Amino acid sequence: MPVILEERDALSVICLDGVIDISDAEELKRLLLQALKLKDGVRVSLQGAADLDITAMQLLWAAERETVKLGAPFTLAGVVPKEISAAISSAGFDNFPTNQKIVSKSVR
Amino acid sequence: MTSTGPHIDNFKQSFREEAREILVDLESSLLELNEHSNNLELVGRVFRALHTLKGSGAMFGFDELATFTHNLETAFDEVRNGRLAITSKLIDLTLAALDQIRAMLDEDSGNTGADRAVCAEILQKARQLIGISTGNPASSKTAPPPAAPDATSSAACDWKICFAPGPDLMLNGANPLLLLRELKEMGDLRIQAIMAAVPPIGELSPERCYVSWEMILTTPAGREAIRDVFIFVEDSCELTIEPASRPVPASVTSNAGAPAHALDEPRSASGGRRTYDKADNALSLRVPAAKLDQFVDLVGELVTVQARLSEIAARHDHPEVSAVSEEIERLTSALRENSMNIRMMPIRATFEKFRRLVHDLARDLDKNVELTIDGADTELDKTVIDKLSDPLMHLIRNSMDHGIEPTDIRQAAGKHPTATIRLSARHAGANVLIEVSDDGGGINKEAVRNRAIERGMIAVDVSLSDSEIFALIFQPGFSTASRVTDVSGRGVGMDVVRQSVESLRGTIDVASQSGEGTSVTLRLPLTLAIIDGLLVSVADAYFVLPLANTLECIELTREDLEKTNGKHVVEVRGEVIPYIRLREHFNIWSEPPAIEQIMVAETGEGRYGFVVDQVLGDHQTVIKNLGRLYRHVQVVSGATILGNGSVALILDPERLVHEALRGGLPGVRGHPRPTKLSRRRKGNLPGSAARNLVGAGTSTSANQ
Repeated sequence: MPVILEERDALSVICLDGVIDISDAEELKRLLLQALKLKDGVRVSLQGAADLDITAMQLLWAAERETVKLGAPFTLAGVVPKEISAAISSAGFDNFPTNQKIVSKSVR
Repeated sequence: MTSTGPHIDNFKQSFREEAREILVDLESSLLELNEHSNNLELVGRVFRALHTLKGSGAMFGFDELATFTHNLETAFDEVRNGRLAITSKLIDLTLAALDQIRAMLDEDSGNTGADRAVCAEILQKARQLIGISTGNPASSKTAPPPAAPDATSSAACDWKICFAPGPDLMLNGANPLLLLRELKEMGDLRIQAIMAAVPPIGELSPERCYVSWEMILTTPAGREAIRDVFIFVEDSCELTIEPASRPVPASVTSNAGAPAHALDEPRSASGGRRTYDKADNALSLRVPAAKLDQFVDLVGELVTVQARLSEIAARHDHPEVSAVSEEIERLTSALRENSMNIRMMPIRATFEKFRRLVHDLARDLDKNVELTIDGADTELDKTVIDKLSDPLMHLIRNSMDHGIEPTDIRQAAGKHPTATIRLSARHAGANVLIEVSDDGGGINKEAVRNRAIERGMIAVDVSLSDSEIFALIFQPGFSTASRVTDVSGRGVGMDVVRQSVESLRGTIDVASQSGEGTSVTLRLPLTLAIIDGLLVSVADAYFVLPLANTLECIELTREDLEKTNGKHVVEVRGEVIPYIRLREHFNIWSEPPAIEQIMVAETGEGRYGFVVDQVLGDHQTVIKNLGRLYRHVQVVSGATILGNGSVALILDPERLVHEALRGGLPGVRGHPRPTKLSRRRKGNLPGSAARNLVGAGTSTSANQ
């Protein structure tokens, strides 16, 4: 499965793996909503992702907006591959969650 | 997006179907361009078609096709920009490439697929052409290059592009990111995603695209070139492309953290803006042919059940039941009409593909031939159209090889060096007339006759009319060609034409003038599924005569029979009309009524009458095949089930007349012969079989 929920150091991380496209959108939304319900913030790992399409980008963007509203953190765990950064950049997402927003607790 | 998304097989299939249609258009545009090399509209059409093939191909996982098409697209982009001229070399190369693209599309269907060696050769030649154009603009120019359509200078301009995908764009298999990447390749792209329409995640439909983009593209390319990037999504998006009127601040970049609406301007409703809400406004939709066939079959069943209901209503004479029955009859009739119309397709695509055949054969045979097409919008049932391709191909090949003279002979005869083949279609009542004519040398009647005598097909002293001589060319194995070529000469093609046309319940008419040309006319029914017929009876047997053929009904009394001395003719308003007694033809031995009815019908041989006991009225006739057992029964084109459950045979008036003429119809053409229609002839329906069928009631042997 390209989109899975992993337990890392007692924290749940949504891991995106390989090419994430429209066929994964439903599952990604489900996991993001599940993570939002925990009110503990949302952690996403793009480390294994090879490409993201618009459906994935808009879901992650919407999830980040939601977490900000809730006053919880949205964090990216691990390194964001260059290809993903390039894809996000070429899609014109200037306010997409990036590694800069990683807070220390997300990688502890 | 990968090619493993949801419904991808459906998308792939849709792409294949669309791509095949694009290829047909592309082929005709290329062949037209071959004649009019300065036509910029055609150049643009070819470019856009290639661009669509490439873009959609890549999107649906046809990567090889996309890569292959890319080089051709580049070549035509060079043509658009005036850097490469249209030459026959480029046209031929592109046509050859289209054949390979077609093969690539068919690969998944278990066909051989494209020839990789040929593809590589085409690619190499395409690259050479592009290289020549950039390396030495003067070379390879045989015609003045057309000016660039946008008439833009090579200096880069800023274009403001607003792109809002429609809600279902991604569900339909498109990927906006690919378009953005393609734009980026055109120049310097500054891009801003607009997220205002993205709803809270809980309300967000995950497969829908809510994002739109505003971009500034600095590029030497013109508006049309930019629009071409969106060519295969433009009907499902909002798109505006305008020259950027003011310098764009450098801060407006994707990563510069610019305000969300830095590129916002009030959107004008002017030029270029498109509505994307195609889901609601779609003017047409694609339906698999099998589903349509199933639908028509069901309508056929409904027509049969409705006939039963009408009969029951008539028998019970209950006002309420009668009212409902009449309403259902009206609706069924409308439904039948509509379902038939859905199956109707213009014959254009079938006609257009022969441009390529004529182009290739003209080159192979070293003849100058132009194909003209008339009536391409004439509509015919899809089933008929599907079966027309082969006979038309054989007629055209025959015309190219045997009909049209070599250029020097044409010139010596004072003819234009370029010969013309005309392909036309037009409606004639319930039929469509498809005509293939040429201005070649015409059919050599003497040669046909001599060949027929040599082959023992006719006696040496037999006298034949022109039409009888021309009919010989459709006999199996008949050919007057002194040599067999790749194109024709084996005497197979015209036999195929005859068989195909007969299987469509059509007829062939040939006219030819020595030195002036030949015209072959195929008369075909509009539809093969349901016809309007006239229900008649002879004793307890029912028959249907196609209403389109019938002209009038007149009475035949015992006195009339005595007056004509046994000749099967009747005088109608001064015109002597021969008739066929169905009672005799089908060996129905029973006493005829005192007054019989003659249904007068128009046939290829003129007006003929068909004598029946009673005319029961018009009848929506759902045609059922008789199956293999009765495949040699030519005079019956099928059967239908009546409301009372019995079976009526659908007669083919043309064949009935032909058969009767062959067997010696009394009183016809001055050859009165006493008829013995009880003898069995090949192609005639044996009396017992007719009785079996017509008396079978509900246990019909007619196949569906």
